[in-house]
Amino acid sequence: MIRLTIDGQEIEVREGTMIADAAARLGIDIPVYCYHEALGPLGACRMCLVQVEKMPKLATACTTAVAEGMVVHTTGPQVDKGRKGVLEFLLINHPLDCPVCDKGGECFLQDYTFRYGPPQGRFQEPKIQKVKDGPISDLILIDQERCVLCQRCVRFMDEYVGEPELLLEGRGVETVVTTVEGRPAQSQFAGNVIDLCPVGALLAAPYHHKARPWNIEREESVCTLCPVGCTTLTTGRDGRIVRVEGRPVVDRNWGWLCDRGRFGFDFATHPSRLVNSRLHGREEAAARTTREIGQWLREVVAQEGGEAIAVVMGGLHTTEEAHQVYRFATEVLGTRRLVVSRDVPGYVPRGLNGTFEDLSAADAVILVGTDPYESAPVLHLRLRERLKNRRAPLTLMGVAPRNLSRSTLPVETLVTHVGQEADVLAAALKEAAGDHPAVAALLSQGAGIARGIDPTQVSQLSRVLREAERLVVVWDGVEPDVEHVLAALAQARQGQTTRVLPTFGPSNWRGFERAGFDARFDALTRVLEDARDGKIRMLILWGADLLKDYPDRRLVEQAYERVEWLLAEGVFVPEGAEHFDAVVPGAAPGEVYGTYVNMEARLQIASPSVNPPGQARPTKSYLTAWAHALGKPFVVDEEWDPYDDASGDLLPEEPLPQDIEAIRAPDLPEGGVELLVSAQVWANGIPSQILEARLEAAQIARISPLDADALGIREVGVIRVESAEGVLELPVRVDEHLTPGRLLVPLGVGALPVNRLRPGVVKVQRLEEVQTP
Amino acid sequence: MKPEWKEWAQEAKKQFPRANSALLPLLHRIQRAEGWLSPETLTEVAELLDLSPQYVDSVASFYSLFFKQPVGKRVIHVCVGLSCMLAGSDELMHALEERLKISQGQTTPDGEYTLLEAECLAACDLAPVAQVNLRYRGPIPPEEADRLLTEEVSS
Amino acid sequence: MSQTYYLLRHREVPEIGQIAVYRAHGGYEALRKALSQYQPEELVDLVKRSGLRGRGGAGFPTGVKWGFLPKDGRPRYLVVNSDEAEPGTFKDRELIEHNPHQLIEGMIISSYAIRANEAYIYCRGEFLKGYEELSRAVQEAYQAGFLGENILDSGFSLDIFVYRGAGAYICGEESALLESLEGRRGNPRLKPPFPAVAGLYGMPTIVNNVETIANVPPIVTYGAEWYTSMGTEKSPGLKIMSVSGPVNRPGNYEIPLATPLRQLIEDYAGGLKEGRRLKCIIPGGSSVPLLTPDKLDTPLDYESILQAGSMLGSGGCIVLDESVCIVKASHRLVKFYREESCGKCTPCREGTYWMADVLERLEMGLGTQDDLAILTDVADNINGKCFCPLGDASIGFLVSAINHFRDEFEAHVREGRCPLGAKVYDTANY
Ligand SMILES: Cc1cc2nc3c(=O)[nH]c(=O)nc-3n(C[C@H](O)[C@H](O)[C@H](O)COP(=O)(O)O)c2cc1C
Ligand code: SF4
Ligand code: FES
Repeated sequence: MIRLTIDGQEIEVREGTMIADAAARLGIDIPVYCYHEALGPLGACRMCLVQVEKMPKLATACTTAVAEGMVVHTTGPQVDKGRKGVLEFLLINHPLDCPVCDKGGECFLQDYTFRYGPPQGRFQEPKIQKVKDGPISDLILIDQERCVLCQRCVRFMDEYVGEPELLLEGRGVETVVTTVEGRPAQSQFAGNVIDLCPVGALLAAPYHHKARPWNIEREESVCTLCPVGCTTLTTGRDGRIVRVEGRPVVDRNWGWLCDRGRFGFDFATHPSRLVNSRLHGREEAAARTTREIGQWLREVVAQEGGEAIAVVMGGLHTTEEAHQVYRFATEVLGTRRLVVSRDVPGYVPRGLNGTFEDLSAADAVILVGTDPYESAPVLHLRLRERLKNRRAPLTLMGVAPRNLSRSTLPVETLVTHVGQEADVLAAALKEAAGDHPAVAALLSQGAGIARGIDPTQVSQLSRVLREAERLVVVWDGVEPDVEHVLAALAQARQGQTTRVLPTFGPSNWRGFERAGFDARFDALTRVLEDARDGKIRMLILWGADLLKDYPDRRLVEQAYERVEWLLAEGVFVPEGAEHFDAVVPGAAPGEVYGTYVNMEARLQIASPSVNPPGQARPTKSYLTAWAHALGKPFVVDEEWDPYDDASGDLLPEEPLPQDIEAIRAPDLPEGGVELLVSAQVWANGIPSQILEARLEAAQIARISPLDADALGIREVGVIRVESAEGVLELPVRVDEHLTPGRLLVPLGVGALPVNRLRPGVVKVQRLEEVQTP
Repeated sequence: MKPEWKEWAQEAKKQFPRANSALLPLLHRIQRAEGWLSPETLTEVAELLDLSPQYVDSVASFYSLFFKQPVGKRVIHVCVGLSCMLAGSDELMHALEERLKISQGQTTPDGEYTLLEAECLAACDLAPVAQVNLRYRGPIPPEEADRLLTEEVSS
Repeated sequence: MSQTYYLLRHREVPEIGQIAVYRAHGGYEALRKALSQYQPEELVDLVKRSGLRGRGGAGFPTGVKWGFLPKDGRPRYLVVNSDEAEPGTFKDRELIEHNPHQLIEGMIISSYAIRANEAYIYCRGEFLKGYEELSRAVQEAYQAGFLGENILDSGFSLDIFVYRGAGAYICGEESALLESLEGRRGNPRLKPPFPAVAGLYGMPTIVNNVETIANVPPIVTYGAEWYTSMGTEKSPGLKIMSVSGPVNRPGNYEIPLATPLRQLIEDYAGGLKEGRRLKCIIPGGSSVPLLTPDKLDTPLDYESILQAGSMLGSGGCIVLDESVCIVKASHRLVKFYREESCGKCTPCREGTYWMADVLERLEMGLGTQDDLAILTDVADNINGKCFCPLGDASIGFLVSAINHFRDEFEAHVREGRCPLGAKVYDTANY
């Protein structure tokens, strides 16, 4: 540790800390443009000048590392003049068009000039002219004249993301930030440069000229489009959300978002948004609908008791909303059939759940099934950041039915058959700790064969399982037996850390669980079977869309047909509208206050920046109205708090699971095409007009180049897929990452109803080839 | 892409112990053959060296000897450094502009000449000095400007 | 005037660029001596004792720099800086065009001394001829067995690579040079680490100027005492001065350090041309302050020139006579820095742009009362606040010009024109 004095205050910091960061820790503001802790020092803008005693010149706080006994002054005549000079320089070629700049009022150049800058300009010469409002992509605009050439954007894309889509062109005062030949930037992380840009040079196209800081509501919120749960700021104006920005949280995250989350906010104002109640398929006044529903509820409860009603929680609801539904169901209706909508069967017990801090500290990470780039994009960035940290090397391996390696994140992948992940992991675990009782129990049914997998790879994996001090597994929940392997692994590795990050949804499933719902897939299946078998008379879907999501569509159809009353609350009309007796419009994220629990089991608070549109209501208004119709009191328990003091913003810890379930080696298919599903944020079915083109491009199945060749498909085509259960026509494109014999279909896409088929081997035939330009 | 470029890329990579150093030599070589570096060329160079097109564009645009616009058969760099200025380089440049009917920075419509300013060419003893296709010519007093347009140029 | 040449020997020996001629005149004997009679550390010590200082501009003691290399077993590189682009300097070009083997011999000895097995020459992009000469000479040296494996049976091996820049003054700055050599934009690197610790491809690297390395063979041949017998205690040895401007014999002159400036101008360069009167002298390339005629007797060594208010720098000596408008000269030099600023840091990028514009306006007679104060203050806001020394270099001459010739600047404003009647061409902005 190094001791130094900044503006008379003493502080102790780690060796290698920059003066800028040490000052920040003391709450002393040193203005910076080019410096960003995540990107490291650059020293280009010269804004952060400070005076260090015994140094002949002013020093840049962002590039000067602390030294023992150093005495730093961040103000004083010399520093003030230096700052003033730099600001004046930055302004001479700046267009000074703050009144028409989207960044006006939120701009570092404005703020610093106000605080430290010269009172008036002395520059009389003509300014250099550059591009204004030029496109970086359809989503991002650049005003090169406002750019201060801090390079944050260029460096972020190049060094941090590894997708160098922006570049510095030219030299000296003619230097500009641009893309190659004006080609649009494609990276799903490009939008972050808007937040990174300290001035009004990089702008969100959808927000362009939309609002001024004084007529917006900018609230802290959380992105709900995937289980990472990135922290955001949402901007509401005139009842609409018009912008989402990343929100850094000190010591926790840098505020990165993927463009799906940043620009996909308009689902709440999408034309297909449900804003009116529907009764038997027709729009109906809310009051009438409520009366009708009340009557049905009364009838069922009176005739058969609450247990004849089941509630399926899903969608984008808060933990508090789920808890209100839970209380309504248990106390007013009297049912315990409370389950969570699931699209994959896997489950992670709380006792195994890890955090992003675990990831940063991990010396090995194993991706099971999931490609975070597609399923949890910002997790991909976290992995990259972890991998780039040279001081602490990271082993990154994958076990999945496809190659998970990317140029931005090399992953040594054991490519399995569909459904073989658990067995391959078990084989490695057998080699690593075969004698451990937990492992023995896991293997007692003969699993751990790893047929067809290169034994050296299995050994490599087993070494990681044995030797990694801190191991994190990232898992997509597709192959359910993996849960048991992970439980055995954690036990066998007692003493070393073993943590799991689940990438499956719904994004707040752990919050629903906290609120009292059973999040296990089997519980949901049981409810559906009971409904099919006539044991349930009313099914209430709270935000859930089972026909779209549940892996066995037949079962859902049978259940829907059999129940007497089928009710849904949601932001969109669920698939199979004809089955529903009533559908009522609910509030969306950004419209209610509450918490979401992310893949770390971390609670994060979101505040609304707009009200629900039309007749859409927050959950509690329906519940109180229905309770009233039932003649029962229901007061929303505003006191209920998902937080537990001891665990801070994490859900309470639980012990490691003790009982280990034995798994069986899978029957592997011989030849044929294996059907493989995956969660992908760009395909996940939540609509957005802003992102329409990109979503459409992502909502497509994929095959390997070899299979495409065999089918005579060059880039894109349509195929006919047949399994025992049925037939499906799917648009497909070629994906270099796929091994021959695999057909990858994204989950949750209405147009790709993969749940019409049984998982396993399918027959594939080409229907037509689509020519792309 | 010209077929020989692949070979040149291989040679450039082998010329230095680490392949990173191959970019400038390859750009030099291709420019020498093509006269300038078109956007397509830069993209192809990126491909040849396994670099991103952004990277190649950014690097090429930094250096004043890489031409991202087409240039004439004779590229005339007139040194406008201080020592040459003292010896009349402004007048030399002016004479050439009048003679070629273009301003510095431009290329004659027939594609014969490109007239460019050069910063000090490290030949102040020859002031006022110029380079024609990077071959030194000097001293060239303004009244002898024509010599730059007619004298033999070696490649 | 009669002169003994060491570094400029090609003036006496035609065709010395050919290896046979070079060898016939004792070439590569210093190498033989170095490899057979010295351990590497002894050579470092020899260069230290000779007091040789870097000729690239900063004058840092070469042997001391070599001693900074960490002894950690990592490969080391020697990089020779032949990017010579400092206005007024043209000595390295003459050396590489006419006597490339002298540099190559110096590189082999220096590489042996610092235990480097790879050496690079970064040749300015405009030096097409120099590049060709060097490339040819390197091939000759390989064929003669002076390069490659096991040189002269010493067990020492060395490869030399010749690299060509592509037009960027900033690439003369050593860390920008390394960036360029690694195929990137020539932006200077953050220091520390200094190249000696983490240079080319992250390895310990010594960057030296062409002239610096060309000094090494004669030092090996004649000894450290020979070198220290010339010049002063702190500035020993020989320096090539490039003289340009309205003198009778512009050119490079090899002088013992501490030779008076007057002697360089009047004797070596033959004095000012008929009818011209000295206004001022830039003694060390465009980046240093000017000296007025009363400083003509200053000895040309690092310390004396510093005391006189300027720097020896790269030895590019530009003579300005009284017909030269000081505003125009300032504009020309500042414009050079504006063109050559890499653009990475704010004060250099914007400040040079601003100053060049103001100077252009002044020269055109469009200046205002405030302009001088603005220029001085802008220069002060650049001073010491840039990422690399280019920013400071851009104000050296200007500030001294304002100090010494304030009247002439003011006259431009007062009279609304250049009192010397200088014309301004290329006034794109007005
Ligand atoms: C802007 C700038 C330009 C420079 N240009 C050159 C150059 O052209 N040649 C050179 O040898 N050194 C140049 N230098 C100095 C080098 O950075 C470095 O100090 C030198 O090459 C070291 O060699 P030496 O110790 O032999 O002098 C320049 C420095 C700066 C800041
Ligand atoms: S566009 Fe913004 S982030 Fe990028 S360099 Fe310019 S000021 Fe910096
Ligand atoms: S923040 Fe320090 S130089 Fe930019």
